[in-house]
Amino acid sequence: MDELYLDNIDEFVNDHDKIVTYKWLSLTLGVHVNTAKQMLYHYLDHKRKESSAQLHATYLVSGKFEDNGQTGHKVSVVKEDQLEDFKSKMSLVVSVHVYSVQKALLKDSGPLYSVDYDAVKDNLKNCTKFSAIRCASAVPMSSLELQQARQIHQVPAPEPEHKKPAMNGEANASKPSTKPQKGIMGMFASKAAPKNQDNVKDIKTEQKEDTPVAEAPKSKPAAKANPMMNFFGTQTAKKPDKTEKKEEAAQSSSSAEVQRQSSQPEEKREAPAVQPPKDTKKEARSKSKRVVDSDSEEEKMEKKKRRRIKKPEPDSSDEDVIPDSPQQMKTRELSPSPEKEVEPVSHSPSGNSQKTRKRRRVLKARTFVDDEGCIVTEKCYESESYSETEDDVQATKQASKDPVPAKRPASHKPDEKKSQKKTSANANKGSKQASIMGFFQKK
Amino acid sequence: MTTLTRQDLNFGQVVADILCEFLEVAIHLILYVREVYPSGIFQKRKKYSVPVQMSCHPELNQYIQDTLHCVKPLIEKNDAEKVVVVIMDKEHHPVERFVFEISQPTLLSISSDTLLSHVEQLLRAFILKISVCDAVLNNNPPGCSFTVLVHTRDAATRNMEKVQVIKDFPWIVADEQEVHMQEPRLIPLKTMTSDIVKMQLYVEERAHKT
Repeated sequence: MDELYLDNIDEFVNDHDKIVTYKWLSLTLGVHVNTAKQMLYHYLDHKRKESSAQLHATYLVSGKFEDNGQTGHKVSVVKEDQLEDFKSKMSLVVSVHVYSVQKALLKDSGPLYSVDYDAVKDNLKNCTKFSAIRCASAVPMSSLELQQARQIHQVPAPEPEHKKPAMNGEANASKPSTKPQKGIMGMFASKAAPKNQDNVKDIKTEQKEDTPVAEAPKSKPAAKANPMMNFFGTQTAKKPDKTEKKEEAAQSSSSAEVQRQSSQPEEKREAPAVQPPKDTKKEARSKSKRVVDSDSEEEKMEKKKRRRIKKPEPDSSDEDVIPDSPQQMKTRELSPSPEKEVEPVSHSPSGNSQKTRKRRRVLKARTFVDDEGCIVTEKCYESESYSETEDDVQATKQASKDPVPAKRPASHKPDEKKSQKKTSANANKGSKQASIMGFFQKK
Repeated sequence: MTTLTRQDLNFGQVVADILCEFLEVAIHLILYVREVYPSGIFQKRKKYSVPVQMSCHPELNQYIQDTLHCVKPLIEKNDAEKVVVVIMDKEHHPVERFVFEISQPTLLSISSDTLLSHVEQLLRAFILKISVCDAVLNNNPPGCSFTVLVHTRDAATRNMEKVQVIKDFPWIVADEQEVHMQEPRLIPLKTMTSDIVKMQLYVEERAHKT
């Protein structure tokens, strides 16, 4: 093999600033993939000895990986600096070769896929011409066979054909991680989906959290997604922490409702520096704007509901109310400020007077409504009625105004007005029946 | 083969849509590659059949969408000569400028079959080029911000000032400080020529960045 290929690769890498993958090189120069790999290796070696331009390379490593007693075969594309580290983690290294050479340091694996996409697309019929993977029985179906297969199995038939071009390293390069990323991304995760999809997505993410959590202790299917995550240094470090936390949270409860709850404290715990409750609050806000406006409260109220069942006495319920009130305050405030800011604000009105206590009772009552899943607003008012007297009603009106100035620095004005309106509206409607029911509660 | 003129507004809208979609992806990618924002806010998404990094920050996304929404009418009428993504340092002096020069032929002759897939391929090449542009560019100083400037032909801006396309999203004439860059170096990145649009991407970089 003459030395021209070195010049060719040099031209591609330095002059055109291309990313030269072995597959692209083999299709461009018309050589077998193994030859292309060797060419890249020699080129890299040559350049490194000359130490002229700074070149970066990625490697394809495949080998056996042991995890918790289970062995699996892992194929991944890693950056050069992570190569040795990665190889040391594997129990048996089956093959290592250069995947690509480029001048730029790649921040993520996307461009590697893009590079090969067009080359493969142009040679779709014979993209396996230079491939080292062969199977005599793997022959494309004729169109007639294809139609028959489609009639019988609609889904599985086209899949193997699609997967054929995406061979070798491609499969790794093109699969994004299915796990929802927490931390900064946790803020945007549920807000991204509009309206009711919020709920659906929320449930789905929780379910996803559950299933990866359940699987994690057994084996690491996520390990397969992890190879590409090697490009995302800090994010991989975050993941094990998050799976652990999700584990704790998921194990603590079984029902979907409680999971929502647990996902909230979980999210709050996970990214203290990055405003975790923004997610829950925005989620709360988007939900609260819908017809079922106390969904957000529902989750938190269910805690209260449980407590309420345990302690049916009205006096003790007051005490139950207070610790929950900070959460209520949060949903009410609907502001992006972090949890810490919220708590002192909410605690200050709670310390003030009995008036605030009663006001919270109003909110608590709402949760009951949601719990039954029936018409929210009506039952809200009903529940209020037997938790308040006329005095309470007036107190609630005053109370709703009192904590508002405290709330203001931390919340938006339209939200305040909404909450004000809500409490005053509720108080108004409650006053009709308050005189009857409040008689029992007051003492 | 159909021949359309610029008066055929429907087609102008299609081209403007394609370009604005592309510019949105390109802006997100530039922000990712040049590390204007932390990479944690970016998420991989698919565009033109390849993975691209898009931001998930709602306000940033809204800003970019509003910007392009205002630019779209200019592109439709072929008034936009250049769309420039300027990266500025802390003192609001431009450090880098990604210039998309756009020109559309007045008479378009289109063969509808291969048109869009070819354009997709060309745009894919642009995306790829932006991904590797940091091979040729020096690193930016920390704490950079970005803005989008549009150079228009003739007096198109007067129309823009009259009609506020998006409420509370005014466009103003750029300051000299934001436009002028000291000691620029020109680095061409990619050119594309197609039936519907000709686009050129180059980067102007300040010689001394810190």
